[in-house]
Amino acid sequence: MSTFLELQNISKSFDEETILEDVNLSLEHQKTLSLIGASGSGKTTLLKIIAGLEKASNGNVVLNKQNINNLPPQKRKIVYLYQDALLFPHLSAFENIAFGLKLQKQKNIRNTVNAMLESLGMIEHAEKMPNQLSGGQKQRIAFGRALVIKPQLLLLDEPFGALDPKIRSNMQKLFKNLVVAQGLSSIFVTHDIKEAIIIGDGIAKIEKGKLIQFESKQSFYNTKSSGVQAEIDFWKQLKNEKE
Amino acid sequence: MNRVLKYIYACLVVFPVIFLMAMSFAEKWRFPDFWPENWTFKNWSSSIFGQGDLLYSLIVSLGISLMLASLVCVISFFVSKEIAYSKYRKTYMKLTLIPYILSPIILAVIFQYYFAFTSLTGKILGVLIAQLFFALPFGIVIFNNFWNDKILSLEQLTFTLGATPKESLLKAVIPLSKPAIILCFFQSFLVSWFEYGLTRFIGLGKVKTLTVMVFNFINEANVFYAALACVLLVLPPIFLLYINKKALILKQ
Repeated sequence: MSTFLELQNISKSFDEETILEDVNLSLEHQKTLSLIGASGSGKTTLLKIIAGLEKASNGNVVLNKQNINNLPPQKRKIVYLYQDALLFPHLSAFENIAFGLKLQKQKNIRNTVNAMLESLGMIEHAEKMPNQLSGGQKQRIAFGRALVIKPQLLLLDEPFGALDPKIRSNMQKLFKNLVVAQGLSSIFVTHDIKEAIIIGDGIAKIEKGKLIQFESKQSFYNTKSSGVQAEIDFWKQLKNEKE
Repeated sequence: MNRVLKYIYACLVVFPVIFLMAMSFAEKWRFPDFWPENWTFKNWSSSIFGQGDLLYSLIVSLGISLMLASLVCVISFFVSKEIAYSKYRKTYMKLTLIPYILSPIILAVIFQYYFAFTSLTGKILGVLIAQLFFALPFGIVIFNNFWNDKILSLEQLTFTLGATPKESLLKAVIPLSKPAIILCFFQSFLVSWFEYGLTRFIGLGKVKTLTVMVFNFINEANVFYAALACVLLVLPPIFLLYINKKALILKQ
């Protein structure tokens, strides 16, 4: 399969501080890459560079074999989703989803938005304002708002970080289904190893501005620094103690 | 107890307005009489419809205050954004406090030479610019708290959804900033509306706003006209307060 997104030697510094150092990454078409990293590791900066919201100090962002370094975020068709759903508080759930479509001056907005609300299981909440929605419902609307404009690439910055475990699990399934159904390519940032494994087709890890992309999930499991083996040992030990 | 306090508060606000209103219709009201000798529409008819001096002052005051409030809202909205996302935010915000350390009249004395040099003294434009020096930092302080990481993230989100900077401003940022805009407009209007020293000094007494007229009438010991000017001075802020409250309630 061909490479859809390629980052070539991306570096970023703020004043004297180096945030990203020679980052290389590739993502295939219609695949999801899980990106693991602790707070302050540079993952948000990396996503913002891909989205065009930050400029890299060095390196290239290549999307669909085109260098998009100088392309403004409006023209990239790359949607960046934050941990906070960031719904527009003055717009209803329906209007939030319709936001991008109205900018594109599309026709049949009502039908498109209703179809999206239906697929999100949110049709009965269409007229509600964001302050009337739960955390999980807000995140669904945020997904809908991003997916309805059919982006080339979806960047998700710990979107389920603020949700409780049950809703989080439901959202992971919903996300997988939607991404597959729409044939989307995405980068999913998380600091939860389990979530990274469930969501991603591939896994990369970023630490102090340096990125390692694993060849396969298996090579990720086998790498000691991934923390997978430590996690398995922990649960095994717990199971043995219980028995 | 709460109800009693509410009534006391209402009396404190309403009584001066009623008293001033009564005085503006009075003629020959001397101490220790409880009521004036005559009630008359003469004060109102001559100053509003006859000589028209107070009507002119009302229009000038409204013009200056509305223009100033609008200018402060627009300029401070954009300037405060630049300041809020600048790495020198704290330094710039300290600078905005300078007009509060110096009183408006001291500011007027400092700048008077430049106003005279540019022939702006004694002119409405001069008064407007002078008031802007004082009110603009005020607006920047009001908007400063509006610009935070969440607004920045929302703005960036609109860009990734395909919005141009103009679309992002009109469809996301301005609707979100409505309460701050209303507050800024209202406060700036009041700053200008009740401003006396700076207006008098830069306006050389030729720019006759309502506050200038009130003091003129008081100096002339013309209490009935002073009361009339005060009524005109008090009513627009009350009206604005009512609209402001209604807008915020509707928003909620």
